[in-house]
Amino acid sequence: MSESLAVRSARESVAVAIPDALALSAVRDVLDVFVARDRDGEMLTAVRHFPAREAQWAEFPAWVRADLRAVYQAKGIRRPYTHQAAAAEAVHTGKNVVIVTPTASGKTLCYNLPVLNEILEKPDSRALYLFPTKALAQDQLAELHDLNVRLDDRFGVFTYDGDTASDARKAIREKSHIVLTNPDMLHTGILPHHTKWTRLFENLRYIVIDELHTYRGVFGSHLCNVLRRLKRIANFYGRDPQFICCSATIGNPGELATRLLEEEVEVLNANGAPAGEKTFVFYNPPVVNRALGIRRSYINESSRVAQEFLKREMQTMVFANSRLHTELLLTYLQQANPHTLGKPDTIRGYRGGYLPGERREIERGLREGRIRGVVSTSALELGIDVGSLDTVVMAGYPGTIAGTWQRAGRAGRRSGSSCAVLVASSAPLDQYIVRHPDYFFGNTPEQAFIQPDNLEILLNHLKCAAFELPITPEERFGDVDLPDLCARLAEAGFLHRAGENYHWTHEAYPADTVSLRSVTSDNFVIIDITGLPNVIGEVDFPSALTSVHEKAIYMHGGTQFHVEHLDFKERKAYVKKVDVDYYTDAIRYTQVRILEAAATSPVGARHAAPRLGEVPTSTSALIPNASSHSHGDVLVRSQVIGFKKIKLFTNENIGDGRLELPENEMHTTAYWITLERPMLDSLLFSVSERQSGMFGLLHALESVATLLLMCDCRDLGTAIGERPPAPNSESATSTDNASPDFVGAQHAAPQLGTPELSTIDEFAPTRLRDVTSSNTKEFFEPNLYLFDAYPGGIGFSEPLFRAHQLLVRQTRELIAACACEQGCPSCVGPAGDLAPRAKEAALAILNRLCA
Amino acid sequence: MAAPADKFSRLSALRPTRNLPARPAALREPCEEDTLARLLGASVRRNRFGEHLAVSNWYSSPEFSAPSAVALEILSRTRDEVQSGRTRDALSDPEKWLFLDTETTGLAGGTGTYAFLIGLAWWDAGGLQVEQFFMRDFAEEHSILCELAARVAERPVLVTYNGKTFDWPLLHSRFTMTRSIAPPKLAAHLDLLHPARAVWKLRLGSVRLSDLERHVLDPISLGWSRDDDTTSADIPQFYFDYLRGGPPEPLLGIAKHNQMDLRGLAALYCKLNHLIGTELPEHGSVDGRDLFGLSRYLQRRGHGARAQTACTQALDFGLPHEVRPQARRELALHAKRSGEHARAAELWHEIVAGDPAEGVYACEQLAIHYERRVKDDVRALEFAQLALAELRKARWLSSRTPAGHYAGAFPGAFPSTRSLRTSPAKESRLEKSLLHRIARLEQRCAQTSTPPRPLLDLR
Repeated sequence: MSESLAVRSARESVAVAIPDALALSAVRDVLDVFVARDRDGEMLTAVRHFPAREAQWAEFPAWVRADLRAVYQAKGIRRPYTHQAAAAEAVHTGKNVVIVTPTASGKTLCYNLPVLNEILEKPDSRALYLFPTKALAQDQLAELHDLNVRLDDRFGVFTYDGDTASDARKAIREKSHIVLTNPDMLHTGILPHHTKWTRLFENLRYIVIDELHTYRGVFGSHLCNVLRRLKRIANFYGRDPQFICCSATIGNPGELATRLLEEEVEVLNANGAPAGEKTFVFYNPPVVNRALGIRRSYINESSRVAQEFLKREMQTMVFANSRLHTELLLTYLQQANPHTLGKPDTIRGYRGGYLPGERREIERGLREGRIRGVVSTSALELGIDVGSLDTVVMAGYPGTIAGTWQRAGRAGRRSGSSCAVLVASSAPLDQYIVRHPDYFFGNTPEQAFIQPDNLEILLNHLKCAAFELPITPEERFGDVDLPDLCARLAEAGFLHRAGENYHWTHEAYPADTVSLRSVTSDNFVIIDITGLPNVIGEVDFPSALTSVHEKAIYMHGGTQFHVEHLDFKERKAYVKKVDVDYYTDAIRYTQVRILEAAATSPVGARHAAPRLGEVPTSTSALIPNASSHSHGDVLVRSQVIGFKKIKLFTNENIGDGRLELPENEMHTTAYWITLERPMLDSLLFSVSERQSGMFGLLHALESVATLLLMCDCRDLGTAIGERPPAPNSESATSTDNASPDFVGAQHAAPQLGTPELSTIDEFAPTRLRDVTSSNTKEFFEPNLYLFDAYPGGIGFSEPLFRAHQLLVRQTRELIAACACEQGCPSCVGPAGDLAPRAKEAALAILNRLCA
Repeated sequence: MAAPADKFSRLSALRPTRNLPARPAALREPCEEDTLARLLGASVRRNRFGEHLAVSNWYSSPEFSAPSAVALEILSRTRDEVQSGRTRDALSDPEKWLFLDTETTGLAGGTGTYAFLIGLAWWDAGGLQVEQFFMRDFAEEHSILCELAARVAERPVLVTYNGKTFDWPLLHSRFTMTRSIAPPKLAAHLDLLHPARAVWKLRLGSVRLSDLERHVLDPISLGWSRDDDTTSADIPQFYFDYLRGGPPEPLLGIAKHNQMDLRGLAALYCKLNHLIGTELPEHGSVDGRDLFGLSRYLQRRGHGARAQTACTQALDFGLPHEVRPQARRELALHAKRSGEHARAAELWHEIVAGDPAEGVYACEQLAIHYERRVKDDVRALEFAQLALAELRKARWLSSRTPAGHYAGAFPGAFPSTRSLRTSPAKESRLEKSLLHRIARLEQRCAQTSTPPRPLLDLR
């Protein structure tokens, strides 16, 4: 395989060497550097060249007012692109549309043109714009302000979000023709107070939803329900607004829009915008130790790649997949580019925890070219206008094809030559992608799914809906009849039926308790107490437990802070500046309890259990029931129990600590594989090898599952746990036939538990590297869980259950095809964390599962 | 598939937020439907939107007292002169006044909060006529709102306690939600919360209506007692319980509570009317703290002269130790504003001599006074330097206590010693301006080459 890759990359770099020399010279220089390093031909697994694309022009539609046309022409837009004209036309004919375009193709004109035209024609008309973040709304406000100034202030446009001053709100409600807001504010601030917004709702003509592709999974399921509520309120005021959506390229924009809006939507996916030429490079960090499958750290390599570009004066954006890595990369790059005294830093970080003012300043700096490099999380993936950059370096696969293209789109927005480099981590998914470039370049991007009828989500929004307007018997949310659910809410004391309608009967304000984005709406503020106390950032509840626990090193803007005190009740973390050569990584333990299995694969007779020590050959017909698999409802409890100190640059583990933090609990859905005892006993491996094998198997299983589901790896959680003694009938029948040694082993098993872990007896480490003791007790009949990382589940478990065979087979292929000897991060996990024969054990188990 | 019942039992969205039974402990008998009307002494009233319960009562207390023109002028004044004028015209006829207080299903506001009991009152035959509309279920909401609209049309001047921010916006929202009954237009809206808070907050801390009744309004002569009054916090749940079939008795408590609030509101008006309408109260008839509060309220409403009189009187009548410096300081400011610079300087001297905590500000004012009025740069310089020294001393002192450093970061962790301090930003601004003044004065003193005298001994 390595040979063919080398050949291909060589051929491709030759192909690249041809196009016009000047524009590509800097990019080619860097590629030459890479090629020189790539002695084995394994490093550059793909170098693809995308030629420049000409603009395709159209004329402004005839219905566009002369004054509006003049304003656009004064801004330098003499004619629209073909796709812009087509979109405006479709909106004008009254259709709901979703416009699918890549980054920087002028999508805002697609909606601003018809909306402004309508407002100028009928000054009573109102439009509501929804953006996933406040920053995007600010960005659009600037654009609309500019148009408004050119139109002599003929319309009102304001943002309305958490940052809006309370004394300005009343005026905004009256005067704003266009309200720019986000789903969260619509949910908590506008809909529950719709009587204050009568002007808007009585005249609501258009609803614009930008960045539609971000509304998938949990967020999308919430948004769908918020839109159900919005349409209800609009109908109450006699309006039936039209939707204009914009989406980045995803596999199913039409389907997603239809599910979100629950209305017919026309998909417009042509693109007439020009694009500069672009080179896309897959970069696999060189192997350091072939036997162990260890590659150079992709973080270090990413920093190195970025430095090559920065050195050549190319403005570069580096994307990392976590806050921690953002800060690490920032530290490395700032060290490589020390800033001159008296001048602002040319390398900056950008992520969620930064305060809004700081973020605006960085955006400006990028546009104006003062900032030469920026290290960002996905925060900059969305359409914030930071101007065009020369290069994008992705430290690690962003998790989805669509996300990768979006990040790559940050480089070379209009014209000129640009380069995007994907630096693969050792994670199985990354390795799969860089070794199969055709899978990436040839496949359509992921599909986005939502599950708006998740009962937990639906009921919460039903409460909010009842608070907004009493619910009438004929009302439906999508396909869901509401009366039955209302009756249950009434039983729980939230609603009351008067006549036919259900009314809200609770003192609380329901929207306050429902967060659209995460499990809790809580967040922690981070206070720097090095000098006078100063709030430097914030972090959401789930991340707080892993990033600002006591004694953690919290990194902000490349500066290290030691967490002195975490005030859990007040939701505050007090930090002090330090200068140390390590970072911390939290250790999380998880316990899964099955509440109810929705379905279990048939478990047949167990009499065929093999004799101990029997070696299976290629067929395992002797053991027809090596395992079973199920899906259903589970309770997941997790707790951060400690942390490790890891040395910068070398990644050595230089110590650890214990923590006592409260545990988290959620009900969700899971898919799990139960490994039967006789099968495990039949494997000729030691206890620790088997244990290691299971963790390794789960590691690979999760990667394959995210690939099959095309979901974000953060949407899935993993855990290993003991199969419960389950009193429920299904399991009871299976344990009835237990052989004598089976019973004996069950008694023996707990004794293997180490005393030091006894306090957290039920919990098990989530990752193998988090095993705090080498002789953790053995799982007797383990369940390997893949659970939906959201209360109530988001609809992954059943598809995984159905795809069980495929999942197991592909997992086996992934591990079997890996060239490492004893396991590596790309298959079962790093060899250092594993028992010597863990990879073999994992494969042996998989062979049984596939039989 | 999972049995649906179990699925629902695990949903946190269905879990009650606090440990209250969804069903009331006791349920009323079907034949008890009329009990509520009997208990309340209510009659069923019908209009085109349906029916509801209505209760009418006349009370001899509080007694009507004619609004004083001065008090009305002050109470109705806002930043917008045109609007104040219009309000004043409407207020001139007490026949058009309508006291209003509602009982609601919550304090959260928003479209899901209902006013299930609307209490109204107006002056009649020297006493107070109270009328209450009660909805026995949500279906009766339109009918009570219709009734309210009719009453407001007759008496379009609203008098409330916190009704400007709570009751009226809530009712307005309820009207909007009917889509059939237009929100009635008000000619004027007089809210007594602001003046009451200005006058009595200093003395009472809390200015809930019941507290004012107890400490300000002389409960005995009012003729009612809040002894077994329903706690406001319980009201929504009592109503929800009734909706779900619970006993009607707790609602009687709510209706009583609402009646007392309305009568208290009318009595409070009389009290404010008297207090604001009386130019020079007799010694002992008013607490010094109330007068001081009144003085600040008058100042804000643009009655500087009366504010000064009230402040002087407040000091005469006696103020607690911790308020006196502040009152003296304001008095000095009053003197300065009305051009009595000598009087102001005299007061500042007293302050500097008496209370070092207040010294920084007084010293600064004296520095200004000597520089601008007396044209004595040397003395001005002395006071500016003294001010700077006092400021730095105060800061040094507070930095020695941990509260100075961490007070913001660990609220409640240290006992507050902030009374002596203003915000750090304010302090640094003051310091800057002092340094600037000192530099200027020093330069001028050097030019006139008068040898600087030693700091005068203040004690």
